[in-house]
Formats: sequence, structure tokens, C-alpha cells
Amino acid sequence: MLNVGERSDPNVEVHKFYGGAVLTVCLLALVFQAFLHKYGRWSELIDLPLLVTIYFGVSRRNPVTGLFLGGTIGILQDALSHDNPIGMYGIAKTMVGYLASSVGGRVDTEHPLSRFGLVFFLFHFHQIVLAITQRVLLNHTAPLFTLRLFLDSLVTAAFAVPLFALLDRLRRGS
Amino acid sequence: MIDTYSRHRPLALLAIVVVAQVLLLAFQVKGEHDVRMIRYWAVALVTPLERAGTWSFSKVGGAWGGYVGLRNARAENERMRVELDQLRLRNRELESQAAQAQRLSTVLNFRNAHAEASMLAAQVIGSSADPTSHTLFINRGEHDRLRMNMGVVTPDGIVGKIVEVLPDAAQVLLINDKDSGVGALFSATRTHGVVRGSGDPEPRMEYVVNDEKVQPGDAIVTSGEDRIFPKDFPIGTVESCKPGSPFQVIRVQPSARLDRLEEVLVLLSQQEVAFKKPEAPATAAAASAAPAPSGAPAKTAAANPSAAPQ
Repeated sequence: MLNVGERSDPNVEVHKFYGGAVLTVCLLALVFQAFLHKYGRWSELIDLPLLVTIYFGVSRRNPVTGLFLGGTIGILQDALSHDNPIGMYGIAKTMVGYLASSVGGRVDTEHPLSRFGLVFFLFHFHQIVLAITQRVLLNHTAPLFTLRLFLDSLVTAAFAVPLFALLDRLRRGS
Repeated sequence: MIDTYSRHRPLALLAIVVVAQVLLLAFQVKGEHDVRMIRYWAVALVTPLERAGTWSFSKVGGAWGGYVGLRNARAENERMRVELDQLRLRNRELESQAAQAQRLSTVLNFRNAHAEASMLAAQVIGSSADPTSHTLFINRGEHDRLRMNMGVVTPDGIVGKIVEVLPDAAQVLLINDKDSGVGALFSATRTHGVVRGSGDPEPRMEYVVNDEKVQPGDAIVTSGEDRIFPKDFPIGTVESCKPGSPFQVIRVQPSARLDRLEEVLVLLSQQEVAFKKPEAPATAAAASAAPAPSGAPAKTAAANPSAAPQ
């Protein structure tokens, strides 16, 4: 059984990246997300900051690093949006980063199928946390699960597989 | 311990970061009535504590106030109880004085109505210790010029006669004593007889033949033949009568309340007195004519010329 929150197994490989790679990728993800948003609703299908959070959380396999990275990305995402209160995406991505890094230390996250499944699962987890936050704090009737969300999760997971393979190139060799 | 801390450190950090962001979010978001969520939560968090504190202070204060109030109430209750007892006692004294004034007023009115008669007011100060003897003591004696066989009356009727005179007191033989006898007659028929004590509370009228028509309620008055009481003073009324041998057996209800005597009048002479019913008592001047209390006899008689024996 997965024991969430425990330190990753010392025997599990921890991937390291070139200097500034993490920061650059995160910033690019945020910029692209904001940039693509101008070109139609199709961009809403893919949450690039979420994918980056999952990827680096899984790769670093350190829950503390994962939660801070997710929190930072989420808060920046909130800051770049015009109407989101600061912290809405921050909470969701903090928890996703924590969960992703915790899972990354326990299961194989290198295989495309496992990446697909992990992204699919974390996409819905992210959506549930987001919906709960909106319902409780903002008094919005955000949906927990819809067919649209299901399709989004499939598209995002499918997009994540080649994206993660691309990001693997930023790793330093062991 | 350290291992436990290091194991849960990421989880604790997660909680801290999430809570910090929730607070950050609450600081920005406004809820109902345009109130920031952070303020709303702060109030919601603090209000129960304040309410609990207020409730506690209120209860403690109330309990303390109740305790102090109870102590004060108890002391006040004791004080008021003492005061009530004193007031009750005072009330009884006043009631007694009022009743005495009423009685004295009656005596005074009677005395004034018979100004031609020589009378001396006296106060009953005791009675006989012998239950079979119907006598009493009054606070007038030899110093007040009282003599043996002087009649004693009340505004209601005759009481008895003086049978023993002491310097400052006298003993009165009541008309219901078995040694007592008073010349009497029926007020309506003028039939003579003698009212004699029987040892019972009610005396009897003797020497009335069976042929004499007597009915309960008939008035009996003094005949004056005994040279003690003036003629036509009320003695009582017939309570019951039945034929006897050789005379009727007639029980008399005395007009005077022989069992409740407190003030009486002593007839200083056997002068004829036209008996008049006493007027309704009213004046407070009765107190001035009150009989001297025991221990201070004869002063009234000495000061009142009309009370002197004739």
C-alpha cells in the first residue's frame, strides 16, 4: 500500500536536471498557458502548469520539493489570471505536487502507460480540490466530474506522455 | 521521536502551506454582505470563545451574586423576622390597649349615666385558686374605703359582693358561687325569688313556685331586699326552667360576663339607682377614668369626689 508522505526510497532513482531547467520550464508553461488562452477555448483542454507540476514532482520524488513547486506554480497561475483569487490554483497544485512526488517514489513513472494513468488520476484529483475550494470559499457551483472533464483528462493525459518524454531530455545523465 | 517528526514533516509542511493559501484566499474573497472571508472566519472562530467567556463570566458572576444575595437575604430575613416578632408583640399590646380602652369607655359611660350613685372603678387582679370557689380579687381595698358586703357590678349587670377587704385589695364573691345569694325578681311579673350560686357557671333562681309562668329569656333583676344591690339592676335571664319540688328549677344566664371580668364598679352605698343601659363607648377620655393599675390604688377615688363613699 502506498504510504503517502513518506520519504522516497533511497534506492529509487532521483532525477536531476540541468541548471535553471526547472525554473525555465515552469515559466514557459505559465507563459504558454496564458498565451494560448488568447487563441480559443481549445487551449483550456490542456493545463500545462499542472503537467509541469506532475512531471517535476514525480521526477524529484521529494514531497517537500513537490508541494512547494506546485504551490509556487499554482500561485503564479492565479496571479496571471485576471479574476482568480490568489491561492485557488495554489492550493490544488500544492496538493498535486505533494501527491505526485509521493507517488513517484513508490511506483514506476517512466513507462508511458503509467504516466498516462498518473496524469489522468491527478487531473481529476486537481479538479476535485479546485471544485471543493471554489464551492467552499467562493460559493461557486464548480462541477466535481462531468463528461467534458473526463474528455479533458484523457486529452491531457495523452498530451502528457510525449511532453514528459520531451522533458526527459532535460535530465542530467546519472 | 525524531524519526516520527521526520516522517511526518512533509505532511505537516503540506498542511501549513495549504492553510496559508486558504488564509490568503480568504483574505481576498468576500462572502455574503461584502465581508471578507478572513474576517468572517476570524469572527466565527472568536465568537464562540467570546460567547463561552461571556457565558462563564455571566454564570460565575450570577452564582457569586446569588451567593452574596443569599447571604444578605438570610441576614435580612433574620432581621425582618425579629422585627416581625417585635411588631406582632407591639400589635398585641395595642390590641389589648384598644380593648381595654373600649371596656373602660363602657364603664365610664355607665358611671356617667349614674352620676347620682357612688361608685368606684376597680380592676380585677386575680381570682380564686379553688376551682369550686367563684371569687376574684380587685385592686381596691380598705384604703379606698371599701367595706364588706358592698356590691360589685358592671354595665352589663351585677357581679357579686365584697366578702373580704384588705388594705389595697378586696375579695369579691361572685353570684354563681355556692355561698352567694341575691334578692331577685322577674322584671316582667315582679315575682320574687333568690338567685343563688350552685357551683356551676350558671346560678339558679330559687323559691319560685311551680304555678308561676316562667319562660327562657325572662329578665331577672335585683329586688333590693338584700340591701347590697340597688333595685332593678340586671342579674341575668332565664336559661332554662322545669318544675321541681317544691319549687321550679330555674337556671340563670348572668348578664355580666363573670368569666371575663377585667374592670368592675364597686357600689359604695346601697343608694337607689335607676339602672340605665350604658351608651356605646366612644371617647378616648375613658383612659382618664381608667381604674388605677394594681399597685397604685385609691388615687382615682381620692381624686374623684364623686367616687367618695356617701
